[in-house]
Amino acid sequence: MKSIVIERLTVKYGDYTALKNITFSVEHPSFLVVMGPNGAGKTTLLKALMGQVNYEGKIVIFGKKPIEALDRMGYMPQRERINRNIPLKVKDVVLMPLISKNVFGISKEHIAMAKNALKIVGMESFWNSQFSSLSGGQQQRILLARTLARDPDILILDEPFSATDVATKLKLIEILHSLKKKKTIILVAHDINPLVECTDKVLLLNKEIIAFGTMAETLTEENMERLYGTRIPIIRYGEVCYTVGSDSHIHI
Amino acid sequence: MLYGGQRFTYPHIISGVNAVIEITIWVLRAFIAIFVIAAISSTIGSYSVFRGSTFLVSGIAHGALAGAALGVLISLYIVPAEPYFFSIIFALGIALAVGYASKKQESMDVAVGVLFALSMSLAILFLSMIREYSAIAWSLIMGNLLLLSSADIELMILTAVFLTLIFSLTHRKMLFSIFDPEMAKVSGVNPFKYESLLFVLMAVGIVVLLMGVGAILVYALLVIPAAAARRSFKTVEGTMAGAFAFTAISGFLGIALSLYIDVAPSALVGLIATIIYAFTFLKN
Repeated sequence: MKSIVIERLTVKYGDYTALKNITFSVEHPSFLVVMGPNGAGKTTLLKALMGQVNYEGKIVIFGKKPIEALDRMGYMPQRERINRNIPLKVKDVVLMPLISKNVFGISKEHIAMAKNALKIVGMESFWNSQFSSLSGGQQQRILLARTLARDPDILILDEPFSATDVATKLKLIEILHSLKKKKTIILVAHDINPLVECTDKVLLLNKEIIAFGTMAETLTEENMERLYGTRIPIIRYGEVCYTVGSDSHIHI
Repeated sequence: MLYGGQRFTYPHIISGVNAVIEITIWVLRAFIAIFVIAAISSTIGSYSVFRGSTFLVSGIAHGALAGAALGVLISLYIVPAEPYFFSIIFALGIALAVGYASKKQESMDVAVGVLFALSMSLAILFLSMIREYSAIAWSLIMGNLLLLSSADIELMILTAVFLTLIFSLTHRKMLFSIFDPEMAKVSGVNPFKYESLLFVLMAVGIVVLLMGVGAILVYALLVIPAAAARRSFKTVEGTMAGAFAFTAISGFLGIALSLYIDVAPSALVGLIATIIYAFTFLKN
């Protein structure tokens, strides 16, 4: 079953073309990693999937237009774009998308959903904690819980590992790994190495598709050079590929 | 009230040896005004601190000042007019222009800075065309809590009730829009709509405060108590309640002191608010 079908997608901001003639589809459930250099249109692609930008071409989410399928999607933006100056508790953050349309009261059902989401990310004991006082990694897990709270079928995650330490990254990957059997997960990442166990498909994007397919199909040195404009060695173990960067954390 | 301009004598009576202050209707109105201002400060001040838009408060206040100056000019020399009306128009204009500039990716600081300069230029231009220039300018800039009329108080109460009602109905969506506009949009909450609404409500509240404390101290009473409360309380509701309490304390103490010291009450109110902020700053 296809959760997402995109055909000839083009997104322009005035005269600037952010995405050009993108065509691919995603199975449900599955795990897609989107990679590309800065300015490649990765976030624009995510916004198009959620109907948040004007586009040409066709996007179908579970048979519907993006804006009609928003209830089935959960979005986790980059943490840096969140205003941390508001003295919110963890429960406020997780409940936010659940109760934003309710003027009065919070139902028991909403609280149960929020607590369940916190349980999934292993943060249920932080219900009454101050969000801004948590570490970056803990905040990231809370934001993932907020995305999971409505139990969406599609998770759209924009660089969830940015500015996280190794332990947090591994914890997040463990959570996502447990979710991939039930959900379509689309994740923007610069470093695919920690995700090799989860990844079903990889989309290499630089305004247009450089490659789309399994890791073995897409992660070639030729594609990496086309994507980043520089040679990046690839180490292969059967179907699994690792990119090798010049520094210790293998960041491409 | 806005263009009263005259140097007033404080309406208190000190009776005999005990120096008992008789609370006149003027002082009573001032106390009611402080209560109303505290209610407005608790919402608008807190939201502007949460959003990091405190400079916008100053920009809108000076826009309202320019509007009031134009209103005074027109009412004195052309046709009878209510300066409050012009203040609202100018304040709304500034608020919406900043919202639009922000949507067009312009830095909010730059947008407010440009409109701030425009507002001050217009205010000076209009005021300099008025013969009773200095007295009226002083009245608009400093305000006067002890010269509020019944009509002023009624208008302030109505505005505060209106603002509180709208904030109560939109609180969650507005908070969501400020906290995470991208997620809010995906969740069906239009952040631009709620940001614009916040700016409009700020404009309305600021004009009402301008009547009581003048253009400069609007900033002091909207931003300082909320900033102090933000440092002292760990929840949104606590911050709002704290902003209310700090504004009320500053206002009541400022008025009470002004009955003993021959100083404009708004200056004392601003000083006390600053002392409270300094205390919370040092404590935390």
